[in-house]
Amino acid sequence: MAMDFSDMLASSIHDIKNSLSLISTTLSGMIDNPKNTFADTHQATLLQHQVQRVNHNLMQLLSLYKLGEGALSIDIDEQNVEDLFIECLANNQTICQALGVTLSYECDPMLNGFFDLEMIRSVIDSTIGNAQRYCKARIQLSAREEDGFLVIRVEDDGEGFPAAFLHHGTADEHLTLDQPRATGRTRLGLIFAEKICDLHRSGERKGHIDVKNNCGGLPGGCFELWLP
Amino acid sequence: MRNVLRAILRSLEISNFELASNGNEALTIIRKRRPDIILCDYNLGDGKDGQQVLEEARDRQLIGVETIFVMLTAENTREMVMAAVEHIPDSFLTKPFTAELLKTRLEKLIQRKARLSKVDQALLAKNYTGAINGLNSLLADKPKNRLELLKIKAEALISANHLEEARKVYQGVCDERDVRWARIGLGNVHLLKKEYPKAEEILRGLISEDPAIIHAYDLLAKVLLAEGRLEDAETILEQAAELSPRGLKRQVMLAELAFKEGDTESAEKWFRNAVKLAKHSHHNHPAIYGGLALSLTANGKHPEAVKVAHELSRNFVGHSEVEFYRATATAMIKANQGELKEAAAALAIAELERDAVSGARASQLGLEMIGVYAKLGQREKAEAILHNAIANNHDDEGVLKQIKQICENAGLEETDEKQVNQIRQEVIKVNNAGVRLIKEGNYEAAIKMLRDAADKLPGNKTVSLNTAKALIMKMEQQGVQADDLHLLRDYIEQVRIVAPDDWRLADVSSRLQRLMANKEKV
Repeated sequence: MAMDFSDMLASSIHDIKNSLSLISTTLSGMIDNPKNTFADTHQATLLQHQVQRVNHNLMQLLSLYKLGEGALSIDIDEQNVEDLFIECLANNQTICQALGVTLSYECDPMLNGFFDLEMIRSVIDSTIGNAQRYCKARIQLSAREEDGFLVIRVEDDGEGFPAAFLHHGTADEHLTLDQPRATGRTRLGLIFAEKICDLHRSGERKGHIDVKNNCGGLPGGCFELWLP
Repeated sequence: MRNVLRAILRSLEISNFELASNGNEALTIIRKRRPDIILCDYNLGDGKDGQQVLEEARDRQLIGVETIFVMLTAENTREMVMAAVEHIPDSFLTKPFTAELLKTRLEKLIQRKARLSKVDQALLAKNYTGAINGLNSLLADKPKNRLELLKIKAEALISANHLEEARKVYQGVCDERDVRWARIGLGNVHLLKKEYPKAEEILRGLISEDPAIIHAYDLLAKVLLAEGRLEDAETILEQAAELSPRGLKRQVMLAELAFKEGDTESAEKWFRNAVKLAKHSHHNHPAIYGGLALSLTANGKHPEAVKVAHELSRNFVGHSEVEFYRATATAMIKANQGELKEAAAALAIAELERDAVSGARASQLGLEMIGVYAKLGQREKAEAILHNAIANNHDDEGVLKQIKQICENAGLEETDEKQVNQIRQEVIKVNNAGVRLIKEGNYEAAIKMLRDAADKLPGNKTVSLNTAKALIMKMEQQGVQADDLHLLRDYIEQVRIVAPDDWRLADVSSRLQRLMANKEKV
């Protein structure tokens, strides 16, 4: 069986991710071990944060590539939203604490939705990662049901998204990649989130994302996943 | 990944764990330590992958229903695991993950196992009524995971052959919400009810909406095979194999289909893939090498076929069927090279090997020899095997169609409809007479009549099953006799070889278990 580009990409990403895992876990160990002294513990945490960013980027790249090839399949099933939030907190709490950010969630414990757990978890993880860079001190996850959609919201108390990023998913426009050098922010994460939501369908309805500011919870950026 | 896991487990203050560096080592540890929780990376480097570890551990019953198996995946491996529907891990965890996330996930899984433990035990004991009752009482509590429970319930209903009830469960879920597993379930129920057009419509609908949904392809292929539409089935399986190239069973099925249809070029390609995939799988079998050798020689590549036959003997030292497959392949190669004397000698060895195998398996092996018999002009022997195969599968349209195909390819066209029907009618007659005697409660006579037929046709699952049924009913009414018990176990084993998934087999087995349990109580 010949190796094609997708296989090569996939296997190098696999390797890189194993290295990232090791770096990340070793860093955690160093931070947690009282015998280690850092001149500035903040530095170690920032490293940790960057490792996660690299990881999110890699994963998004590969997923988008596979999506283009029509080879990305998703596993939609009923999931409990609080369980999802608890996992997101577990995966991000250490870094948030180190960065001095309070990460919390709010939702009805009986609220269920239909989605691919690992995919949506990774979208939320990367959104949290993004919010960590732009918030002042708080990130809040919440969820509700609206118009037959499950709406998952990630809000922060920062300056909010720049006007060019605002996006309403039901409008007939699609996100495109910006020149990264121009803004310092690519939209890779948003595009990834939009594509993943778009794969979530029920009958005629499909998922989308909304990028807004100041939605009533926290004053900064507000990112919403709408899942049918 | 091992260093990562070690650090994560230590940070969670877990000390009672062992790490394996590859799949085989993992299986050795699992066998020795019987762990409660297994964290397994899908990508284990050379050798077995995580999916093969899971399959082998479950198939060899090294892990039970209470063991938690978490597959650690990179994004590139998730589809590969999801494509294997028979063995799904309890959970997937995408790398990298923090210690806290692992802890949260494991806690959730442990709670889930605890809630389902009674149901799981009942399912394992094939006590479907018990499992369904357990599920119903869980469902009555308005649980968070209602759909998950309904999914397990529908599967239990299918295992118990309550197909209409299973259909209602799936339909109910679909009416509420378009959930994929429920639609696949509906397709499967229609397949089992032999409502093939309905099954096909549902499955094709699913595939057109999501072309990456492997399970639907596999089921659709089954539908098409049952209808005898071999070429259509091949097309679907080819699409599935392209999407999920690591499914060994699918590759073997494709290879065999292509070979039966006389498309030896494709057969060679699929068998080559299968040989590679099977290398580290416990499903590796001489038949796969045998198939490759036969395809190669059919395509005129005799020297390579000889090489494969050699590899066959080398790779399966001590396997009970290695000589049979080597000899059959050798006979065909020699025959194709015009060395008829050597071919006949090899064929004689194959016959000896086949005759040493008992019952149902012998008739399966027989079918492998048709091509050689035809090639060497031994038509009578070929026909005898074909007649036997027809009689063994008298109630299976799909298999009958395949047998017809084999006849055509071997140039044995005289096995016409009339003859096939005659053979089928004879089996049906005896079988029905036996069933009638069972209904009348005349077990002694039923057993005698059915045993007569079953011993002539050890590969016929229906006749063997009815014999087993007569025996179990007799014992249920008249008490357990050592002789009957012995016979019953033989027939159960016979069916297990040809049709391990038949619900009637599960029924007889669980009745036998209950009978023995009651006997102990007395």
